[in-house]
Amino acid sequence: MQIEASLWNASWATDGGRMQISLSYAPFEARYRGFDVARCSVDKSSDMNQFSSSGSVLKQGGGEEFSEELLLKPFPDRKVLAHFHFQSRAPHSSSHGRHHHLFPKAIAQLVKKFRVKEMELSFTQGRWRYEQWGGFDPLSSNNAKPPGVELWAVFDVPQSLVDVYWRNLTHTLSGLFCASINFLESSTTYSAPELTFKPSFGNLRYGTLPREAVCTENLTPWLKLLPCRDKAGLSALMDRPSIYRGFYHSQRLRLTSSESGSDEVDSGIGLEQTLTVVLQPSSWRTGKTYSVETNIQPSWSISSIFGRNIPGKCVIAKSSNVYLHLDNGLVGELKNLERENAKYVANTFESEGFQSNHAFKISVTPDKVFEEVDYLHGKSTSVIYGFSVEKYSDSQPFDLGLTWKIPVVWSCQQAPLHASRFLMGSGNERGAIAISLESTESSEGLPTSHIIDGRCELRVDIFQVVPWYIKVYFHTLQVFVDKQPRAMADVVDKIRVSPSKDKVSPGVMEMILKLPCGSKSAAFSLEFDKGFLHIDEYPPDANQGFDIPSALISFPSFNARMNFSEDEFLNNSPILSKFQETSPVLSYTEVLLIPLTTPDFSMPYNVITITCTVFALYFGSLLNVLRRRVDEEERILRSRAGRKAGWISQLLSRLSAKLRGRPQEQPTSSLPYSFISFRLVLKILLVASIAVTWQYYFG
Amino acid sequence: MSEISPEVPDNRQDAPSHVDPNSTRITKPGVKRLVLTLSVLFSLVLGFPFLWKSVEIYRSSLPFGEISEMESNPSLSFPCRFQAVFINFNSNPSPNHLQLSILDKITELTSNSSQCGACANDLALSVTVDSISSCTQTHPTDNSNYYRCGAISAVDFDFSNDDDDGVDELLESVLGVKNVYSVVVVNGGGEGIRAVVGKYRHAWIVGSVEEEEEESVLVSRVAEIFVKMFVNGGTENGLIHGEFMPVGADRRIVLSFNLLNAEPNDWVYDWDFQRVDETLLAPIIKVLGPIANISVESQVLYHTPKSSFSYWDEKWKSYIFSTKDLPFFVNSNEWHLDTSIAAGGRYVPSAKECPLSLLLPTGEISKTNGFISPMWGGVVVWNPPGCLNSETNHPSRHTMSREDLQAVFEVFMGQFRQLFGLKSNNLYIGASGTYHLLPSGKGFTEWELDVLSRQFACFNLHSCATTLGSLSRLVQSLPRMIIMDEIGKLVQFSLEAAKLAQSNASLGDNESSAVSSGQARSLAEDAFFHPSIMSISYYSFEHCFAIYSPFFLPVSMHVLLAALREWKRYKQEKAKYTAWKAKVKVES
Repeated sequence: MQIEASLWNASWATDGGRMQISLSYAPFEARYRGFDVARCSVDKSSDMNQFSSSGSVLKQGGGEEFSEELLLKPFPDRKVLAHFHFQSRAPHSSSHGRHHHLFPKAIAQLVKKFRVKEMELSFTQGRWRYEQWGGFDPLSSNNAKPPGVELWAVFDVPQSLVDVYWRNLTHTLSGLFCASINFLESSTTYSAPELTFKPSFGNLRYGTLPREAVCTENLTPWLKLLPCRDKAGLSALMDRPSIYRGFYHSQRLRLTSSESGSDEVDSGIGLEQTLTVVLQPSSWRTGKTYSVETNIQPSWSISSIFGRNIPGKCVIAKSSNVYLHLDNGLVGELKNLERENAKYVANTFESEGFQSNHAFKISVTPDKVFEEVDYLHGKSTSVIYGFSVEKYSDSQPFDLGLTWKIPVVWSCQQAPLHASRFLMGSGNERGAIAISLESTESSEGLPTSHIIDGRCELRVDIFQVVPWYIKVYFHTLQVFVDKQPRAMADVVDKIRVSPSKDKVSPGVMEMILKLPCGSKSAAFSLEFDKGFLHIDEYPPDANQGFDIPSALISFPSFNARMNFSEDEFLNNSPILSKFQETSPVLSYTEVLLIPLTTPDFSMPYNVITITCTVFALYFGSLLNVLRRRVDEEERILRSRAGRKAGWISQLLSRLSAKLRGRPQEQPTSSLPYSFISFRLVLKILLVASIAVTWQYYFG
Repeated sequence: MSEISPEVPDNRQDAPSHVDPNSTRITKPGVKRLVLTLSVLFSLVLGFPFLWKSVEIYRSSLPFGEISEMESNPSLSFPCRFQAVFINFNSNPSPNHLQLSILDKITELTSNSSQCGACANDLALSVTVDSISSCTQTHPTDNSNYYRCGAISAVDFDFSNDDDDGVDELLESVLGVKNVYSVVVVNGGGEGIRAVVGKYRHAWIVGSVEEEEEESVLVSRVAEIFVKMFVNGGTENGLIHGEFMPVGADRRIVLSFNLLNAEPNDWVYDWDFQRVDETLLAPIIKVLGPIANISVESQVLYHTPKSSFSYWDEKWKSYIFSTKDLPFFVNSNEWHLDTSIAAGGRYVPSAKECPLSLLLPTGEISKTNGFISPMWGGVVVWNPPGCLNSETNHPSRHTMSREDLQAVFEVFMGQFRQLFGLKSNNLYIGASGTYHLLPSGKGFTEWELDVLSRQFACFNLHSCATTLGSLSRLVQSLPRMIIMDEIGKLVQFSLEAAKLAQSNASLGDNESSAVSSGQARSLAEDAFFHPSIMSISYYSFEHCFAIYSPFFLPVSMHVLLAALREWKRYKQEKAKYTAWKAKVKVES
């Protein structure tokens, strides 16, 4: 049992770094008060089976619903995706704005207060690897998010009020999720996309914080919105060390609310919370199989990935399911293997339901098997195994395992073009942003629905926001298709640019491109100048560089959608019905890190000191010039020299003369000396001025 | 060069060759250079205050005197209007005599407590003695609002029977005047003296009074009703009890009700709070409308175990938690209650500890099974029916029955009244006897509401005074703090609003006094939490020193040294000159 305290010096905790913790006051002393440390009690009845196997679905109170689901999916690069999906609904009614049974009250109040029509907030750590993890399926299109925080919201208010509501919303969310979302309040950080992001009527705002660090303090308030939190049900799997050890971590919250006026069935507030993690299963059998097969996929189970089991469902949930998703690349590969082996092995894939075949073994018998129906190709389709958690309990936890028997190599289906973005140029003055789109294999043999006027074209939307201190020259936009420069009008169908205003608004570029079908690659480059920031505007870690938010590349002519054969069960499963919804294929580019000129923050003091010293010197010498009597001093010195009063006094006088800063004048050469010194000064001045002009013009 | 001193050529041309320039001087020493250096020194010295003024930190002047004056005495004095009606007194006591003795009693009772809201200065009492034969009345100043003679006798009501509600309604119809509290003393009826305080602004005392001593008892009871009930609201410790009044300056209260299911795997309870809101809470909210703008919300939480422990007790056949466990009962980690002021929690224990009861220090089981936790609000433990014998393994979802909810809400009403500092007993035991208090169906009686609104104004003023006081102490303790004009203005406005509240209160306008005291409080808080107060860390003395020392240190060195040297030389030369002059005089 232990208590931990941490001292935070992060930007969200210190008002943007302005009120820093002064570590010079260390050591710090912390005091706890108002809490008690209690022992753990021994649970006597823990071995009692609290569940019957009937698993009766409880009657929901007030029409509010909650369901929890988990989707697991092996990736080709020996990693495993775990996608938690929690959905809460509250029906709309005048009274239910205040009284809640399952739905989180905080969210309902937020929707009501800020008139949010639609909102999505995501906290992401790590980058979704589109090449390995796929970019075409609904899972990646919906859940692959840019690093940091991304927030967009659609408000149901007049356009003039949208900004005010956005600002208030960011503040509320910042408090709700312990994150610095309130930095999105300033108009330099958010934008209003119109063409490419989502169809909107000026009431959409979009903002990202690429540098926001995501940690448990963001997850805990997110879990608080679930009725069972992480005490029971699938969310009990969320062992913090395991899920933050992953390669990709994205927690997402999506809200949709519809007015009571529309007589839709699903009017009300819908809250969708997802947590997507990509984990590396620690293959517990590596010791045994190390020498035998190195390229065999690691076998895993829920307990080996998360270190925990599922202790039964959350009692309040309407449904609680776990799915195992094998994507179409894997299924196709397995079928090929099956066909080869068909000569020797009698059993076929169809009859066995493919759960215990020669390639892998699933430890739990699935309750349902869904196969994707692809009407267009009739090629290999993905398979989803469904497991209901309802019959499991504390004493008999649910632990799904997948054991591979033979090495399988496959690849995930990718978006038609792979997008990447990089910086060009060097130095602290200017540079260029380049977005390159490379064709992937999967773009071949695409549906030919987008042939317009006999020309085969591929529509690509690009949405890019740049902060104001990156001064992009939009006229320098250059387009290359298949490495050949092309005129902009040939490729760009529509472009909307809102240039940045210094310290007021970011630059936004939205482009709708029509690329020829056969093109292998396309690239765009934009030049920019780096702006100067005011000293207050630098973050505490200014030398790290500045992040440019990810660009959003979408392919509206492709739909990430899975078709399943009609089944009653599908409608009850939010995750599968989500998969069946039509959504465009999206992908985000990397975040760019741009180094800006960072000033020496002691510069003002240095400047003040040097100017003051120059002024003081000037003043002092002017005063001396006005005051001093050269003749008299010379006379005194001469008389002193004439006295010849021993070498000690001579030395003293010389020393004192030096200390006073006056040249010790030799009585013999007084006149030529001053003349020489004047010429000497003139010479030095001349050389200095030449050096300065040289430095100024040719430096 | 131009700086050849004028003395030297003079020396060469005019002085005789035997004159030694080091010891004698035949011309008057010039003052040009001395004047120059001294003028530079003086202009520097004179310029220094201007510079100091120009780099001074801006501090808006705050009225410290007024603040400390208000902090020392943040009181409101409301006018009190009382009337006492004596009916059926055969001995015909003189009303003036009664008035004097009641007033004596009242001052005696109020003397030991000089609280905010008490009517120390402005007190008016009217006494009427109304018998069948004659009616005499004393009028303090104006006679418009007081009792009309014969009004009660005219109705001819029997006070002796036990229909207290009926009497109450009757008195309201006869005496229903705002801002006047009345006590009706009826002679007759049964044995002993019975005193009842009604739902409105009056009380009555029924008893057979024959002798002189009985009359003095009556007088002291009348005075006690006036002071303890109508002014102090039946609470012992007076109006400003502690620092707590659960109403913000904007008069908003959020009542948040949480149903906490400790272990949903055992059972899940739900409630129909919508109906509760409409039937039980709406009247209370309406009644409290003048004091607070109340909004109600509710939620159901799951997996919320309490954080203290209980033990099984055979004697009570239940799990027991004692009063010393109460500070640890609220599990702040798991109970995600709101931060609203009056959050009421209903705790449903898990099967492991099902009949869960609160053991009072007296060794008895609490009847309400509830308590108030500071900063969290009221908590009631509600044990599900039949939780001892039920052996169901099914997690089942129930809804709390209407009767259960009603019972729980009675407890809540008590807790809610306690939050406002009011008691919920229907008996008040005073110094001179017991008083029956008639409960109002709406939760709060009218005289209690009067007390609350006075208390609200008082609390606002008090908190305004303490806020301004701590602001002025802070400002005075930090001399290098920037104080913007906005803060000065806010403080000014806050003081003005507080003064307005005081003057309104003395005029008897409770409503506007409460409004302006609320303004005073919120303005004071705005001033205290003004963001510009934080700017103290940006302009320290070290910063100032670092900026100005590179210039002023060398310059002042130059100027001072030059002036010193010039002064020394002038003195020296002057001495030489005077010596020469004296020599010349002697020679001539």
